[in-house]
Amino acid sequence: MTRVSGRTFLFFLLAAVCMVLLILSSSDRLGPVEGVVMTAGRPFLITFSGIGRQITNLVNTARDLATLRARNNQLQTVVDTLTIDNLRLKEIEAENERLRSLLRFAQLNPNYDFRGGQVIARVISKNPSNYLAAITLDLGAEHGIKPGMPVVTERGLVGRIHKVGPLSATVLLITDPSSGVPALIQRNRLVGVVNGRAGGAPVMDYIPQDAEITVGDLIITSGLGGEFPKNLVIGQVVEVRQRDYEMFQQATIRPTVNFDRLEFVQVITNFRPLPNQPDESDSVG
Amino acid sequence: MANRTQRRFRLNRRDLTGVYLTAAVLTLAVLAQATLLTRIRLGGASPNLLLVIVVCWSLLRGQTNGVLWGFAGGLGLDLVAGLPLGTSALALMVTCPLTVLGKDSVFPGSLTLPALLVALATPVFGWVVLLTKSVLGLPVDWLASTLYIIGPELALNLALTPVVYPVLRWLALQARAGHMGW
Repeated sequence: MTRVSGRTFLFFLLAAVCMVLLILSSSDRLGPVEGVVMTAGRPFLITFSGIGRQITNLVNTARDLATLRARNNQLQTVVDTLTIDNLRLKEIEAENERLRSLLRFAQLNPNYDFRGGQVIARVISKNPSNYLAAITLDLGAEHGIKPGMPVVTERGLVGRIHKVGPLSATVLLITDPSSGVPALIQRNRLVGVVNGRAGGAPVMDYIPQDAEITVGDLIITSGLGGEFPKNLVIGQVVEVRQRDYEMFQQATIRPTVNFDRLEFVQVITNFRPLPNQPDESDSVG
Repeated sequence: MANRTQRRFRLNRRDLTGVYLTAAVLTLAVLAQATLLTRIRLGGASPNLLLVIVVCWSLLRGQTNGVLWGFAGGLGLDLVAGLPLGTSALALMVTCPLTVLGKDSVFPGSLTLPALLVALATPVFGWVVLLTKSVLGLPVDWLASTLYIIGPELALNLALTPVVYPVLRWLALQARAGHMGW
């Protein structure tokens, strides 16, 4: 009889544990456990995220300093101080502007109820895995966040809540291949579905062959299916792919939201399916 | 009798130190992966620090250690990333047997071998994650994922290896001197 080595046994034992966890996790039975762990890890994520921001600032500062040193060595010390101060102030100003925009967005759209920190959710982690386009927010079930809720910024649609812990939540971005958003072309109201693509810009699929679609067309949510509010801006068409032998056209979309620079988002907590949607003329975003 | 008990207690303490070391390294790696390294982007990917760590540790301390680190670190990453629990853990564990290629290497200080193993492990990791997602019924674009995620991730992981390997080698030497490690 063949004897199995301890190493092989350990490997298969842990692999079996992984399989069991996968099955339980995909059927949402590990939600409470994941929630507890995420709650425990939240302060560390926030701290590390802050460190990351500081490092980015430092890198930017270092770049600026290199330029300034080349320009004027004599005034280097003064310029260093001023640059650091200036960057800090710019950061505060930019943050202020973002908060103002979000507030304006909330005032322009009184039909939606927004939650986050006090009004806005802070992004504490972005795309931790290359195989899932997602961000983590510092809000969770205790703040009224539930799976499926749409997440937006003043620039447009970000995604929807994917997993919820007590104090944090994961947002599945519209750029993830498993994300599908019913959408329409604002100019001619043609409907399609915006799907994420691995490593690339999202595309709008299922556009009829005879439909007229051009570069620059604005894509907004259609509200069909009831998963997203109607008229949220998704992005602009940057490329149209039409092949005679295919049933549908496909358009590549450049999202209006810059996912690399997301810091604050808003979660629409009172969204209801189609019947309560605003009129098509009420443009959002 | 008393001496034996004392020795056993000392060994347990050493083992515990190894567990603390593992927990510290993996926790830091997961947090850095989730917050700091995501700021470095090439194409659609960021470097996979945890994969580089697991492959290098597996090479330095053997497959059993690597499998344990892959399992624990992978679960941490899945929790933070929102992937179904076990996805990254399984994929990281699968990459460990690759290090059998570097077993008994006569150049333990060379970076070529860990770089080669990381280059092999990156697509294996990626494809196992994609396969798991596919089995779970999630849509997977194999070609685009390979070209736009695994490709750039490979380049970034290779760039990370010369930084990570010497640090882990130093840690492994310390661990061996103090009989630490799982």
